[in-house]
Amino acid sequence: MTDIENIEETTPPAVSSEPQEPALPELLAEVEPKVPKESEPFEVAVLPLQNTTLFPETVVPLAVGRQRSVAAVEAALSTPEKLLGCVTVRADSINTGDANAADLYQVGTLVMVKRMERVEESMHIIAQGTERIRILGWKHEDPYLRAVVRILPEVAVIDAEEVEAAKRNVQSMIQQALALLPGVPPEVRGIMMGPVEPVRLAYFLGSILNLGVEQEQKMLEANTADELLRLAHTYLARELEIIQLRSKIASEAQTEMDKAQRDYVLRQQLKAIQKELGEDESGEQAEADLLRERLEKADLPDEVRTEAERELKRLGRLPSSAPDYHVIRTYLEYVLELPWKKSSEDKLDLDEARRILDEDHYGLEDVKERILEFLAVIKLRPDTKSPILCFVGPPGVGKTSLGRSIARSLGRTFERMSLGGVRDEAELRGHRRTYIGAMPGRIIQGIRRASVNNPVMMLDEIDKLGADYRGDPASALLEILDPQQNNSFRDHYLDLPFDLSRVFFIATANQLGPIPLPLRDRMEVIRLAGYSDQEKLQIAIRYLLPRQTTENGLAPAQLTITPAALELIATRYTREAGVRQLERTIGSLARKVALQIAQGKAEAVTVDDKDVRDYLGAPKFYPEQARKELPAGVATGMAWTELGGEVLFIEATLLPGGRGLTITGQLGEVMQESAKAAQSYLWSHAAEFGISPAMFKDYGVHLHVPAGAIPKDGPSAGVTITAALASLYTGRRVRPDTSMTGEITLSGLVFPVGGIKEKVLSAYRAGIRRIILPSRNEGDAEQIPEEVRKELELVFVSRISEAIDAALEVLVANPPPPLNPLDLARERSTRQPEGEPVVVRPA
Amino acid sequence: MPDRDRRFSMLPMDRQVRPSGRLWNPAADVYRTSEGWIVKLDLAGVCLDELEIEVVDSNLRVRGCRRDTFYQEGYTYHQMEITYSRFEKSIQFPCSIHGASLARDYHDGLLVIKLRCE
Repeated sequence: MTDIENIEETTPPAVSSEPQEPALPELLAEVEPKVPKESEPFEVAVLPLQNTTLFPETVVPLAVGRQRSVAAVEAALSTPEKLLGCVTVRADSINTGDANAADLYQVGTLVMVKRMERVEESMHIIAQGTERIRILGWKHEDPYLRAVVRILPEVAVIDAEEVEAAKRNVQSMIQQALALLPGVPPEVRGIMMGPVEPVRLAYFLGSILNLGVEQEQKMLEANTADELLRLAHTYLARELEIIQLRSKIASEAQTEMDKAQRDYVLRQQLKAIQKELGEDESGEQAEADLLRERLEKADLPDEVRTEAERELKRLGRLPSSAPDYHVIRTYLEYVLELPWKKSSEDKLDLDEARRILDEDHYGLEDVKERILEFLAVIKLRPDTKSPILCFVGPPGVGKTSLGRSIARSLGRTFERMSLGGVRDEAELRGHRRTYIGAMPGRIIQGIRRASVNNPVMMLDEIDKLGADYRGDPASALLEILDPQQNNSFRDHYLDLPFDLSRVFFIATANQLGPIPLPLRDRMEVIRLAGYSDQEKLQIAIRYLLPRQTTENGLAPAQLTITPAALELIATRYTREAGVRQLERTIGSLARKVALQIAQGKAEAVTVDDKDVRDYLGAPKFYPEQARKELPAGVATGMAWTELGGEVLFIEATLLPGGRGLTITGQLGEVMQESAKAAQSYLWSHAAEFGISPAMFKDYGVHLHVPAGAIPKDGPSAGVTITAALASLYTGRRVRPDTSMTGEITLSGLVFPVGGIKEKVLSAYRAGIRRIILPSRNEGDAEQIPEEVRKELELVFVSRISEAIDAALEVLVANPPPPLNPLDLARERSTRQPEGEPVVVRPA
Repeated sequence: MPDRDRRFSMLPMDRQVRPSGRLWNPAADVYRTSEGWIVKLDLAGVCLDELEIEVVDSNLRVRGCRRDTFYQEGYTYHQMEITYSRFEKSIQFPCSIHGASLARDYHDGLLVIKLRCE
């Protein structure tokens, strides 16, 4: 069977548009029957190639699936030489359907089908490209494409050297590319780098580079080796650039990944170690789950819940080894433990509250009153804000225990924190969570301990807050103690608003002075004055003695201390405003009794005032007693100290030939000034009091206030100083049974002073029974215990002249020394005869 | 672009394109004898008339064409493993064989060429 026969037999009607149609039979007649020779047209079945180009001098496996393509291959296999034309479909006409003749390029490759096997409906063939062909015309399109083609001449080498040079260039580029492409099989490397023909190398590159059909077709259509290699060089250079870029990106990504991988491996090892130690990650997971469960159950405000959920989510993403993990966990635990909405119920039984307050404390009427008022308000209006109280008083008067007692009477939790020495604002408001070891402030810690949001919170020693460069804690307290602001108190650590408005704050202080004014302004100040001896006696009988008896292991019947003995202990063995020392002393007495009883020397002991000395030794204190007689120029005053009140004497003496006013006894500026004012007042009113003005010129005055080692200050000694000086100048003595207090003005008024109760009590203790007080302090006098007051004569004055009248004796007992003879002569006419008692009355 | 890059590195393995000559090469055995060389080529089904044997220096070149004459109308190929069409075999000898006398013999599908060197 020859080709001609084959063609004739199978030739269908020629494609009508074929321009060469009339010439075809002639051409066919010239076809060499055996081997198609170059330039001679012949017919061949055409296999259209999508997206790829088959080059001569390459062996390519192809999968043939389309019906037309299978038909084309079958037609080729039916020829003796199994030749097939492979022509690429144009780049611009690729579609999903069967390619038509018009869609194909004009130049293709003639291949010999070397192998064929059928796989179900399709064929797998191995084709070897032999020659380039040009399509001259189409015989038919169905059942397969069949064309008349002519073999193109082999590519010609124009400049052999140039071709060789281009080949070497191409090979060096291939070498670079292969270095970056580890997946290329070794035999391919061998072929490309070996002594291969330039044209064959170019065609091979064309088939593997995947340049796209347009560029591949250009290479196929190149008629000279020079052009072919130039194209191969250009395309390869571009590919190489891409490969290098890709490889660079890949290697960078690799570096990143290596680090991540290393971390991962280490973490896995850590996990394994933890597992061995029994600290495996299930603990971590369980922890997060536990927190989530608690979060779901907890009754939280919306804002808090949102924040807590956000943090929990963060926690879930962190391994337990991350430093942040523990920070977040601690934070979440804190948030969950805080009593956001939990409060204790108040006991609203007023009688019961009263009973509890009375049970714990003797006296302190106004404090108890205030607590009962609050309870009454809360009964009427449950959402009322808690008050903020400040107890000011000397040590040992029971400020702290009163707070405890208030909590008990209200049925609230009691939380106490001492602010003494706190210098850092962060102690109160916490540190922000960014700091290592950050913690909430004491307020929030206290709330957590109380585990309700309405405890009684005692801020002890608020007057002993410090302040330094780290901040001023008192200023932080401004927010905490402001009922308008503290319903959304933000601790730095929590960074969530917490409602403190239901917390019953009680601050305590020994002195109001060191408390900054704005802070003082926010609190309701309640003063707890020192106890009188009577009160101490009652406290001792009711609370201290029973307590000390039990604490020292005695039965109540085994120790009796008579009230007289207790009073003796309170006055002669202790000196204090509170009762701490008294309790200690009773305790030491009780121990001595316990010793006796334990030794079997006695069954029960009664201590009378006569026995006290046997147990406690000689009395330790002799209270400043009222002097039986005062010389002219000495007056009894009263001072207020943190320990209560004290009696003091102001002494003045004339210095003949001296000048001015000498003041000693560690007096502060205010006191010195009031001494000057007193002298000036007397000078200006000399006539009124019957004093010769020359006295002020010829004599200096020394004013001294013992005890000299104790600093003293304040305006309240004004009246006393005036009395002392008036006594000195007039020679009339100050009544020894009288003590006085009050601030003076230059115009002769007496102003009120503080600490009346303590002062009066101290004077009473000293045996004074007549006290001159500013009339505007009359109200304070009500604080003085009834049993003391009824023994006292209280004289209220509003002018200095009244005070002097009340203080000084009428008789001139110690007349002042004589003046200069000159003055004496001048004075003689106006002065009363010497040594004669004279009654001087103010005008 | 990325798709093309990917295919660059994969194609040589995937499609297994290999460079080749234009024609196929039959397998050949070469013997050395006391008289010269014997070359045996696996060339079953080759028409001897078209066979070209050429000697250039130390090179022996055999060209020809194998045609499938067995195929008839109505047959359909199910499997094909025999390569047809033109072939060319070029054998390089270690010494010049120019002027050697050639004798060819063809039986049982094997072409035997005897080269007698003088």
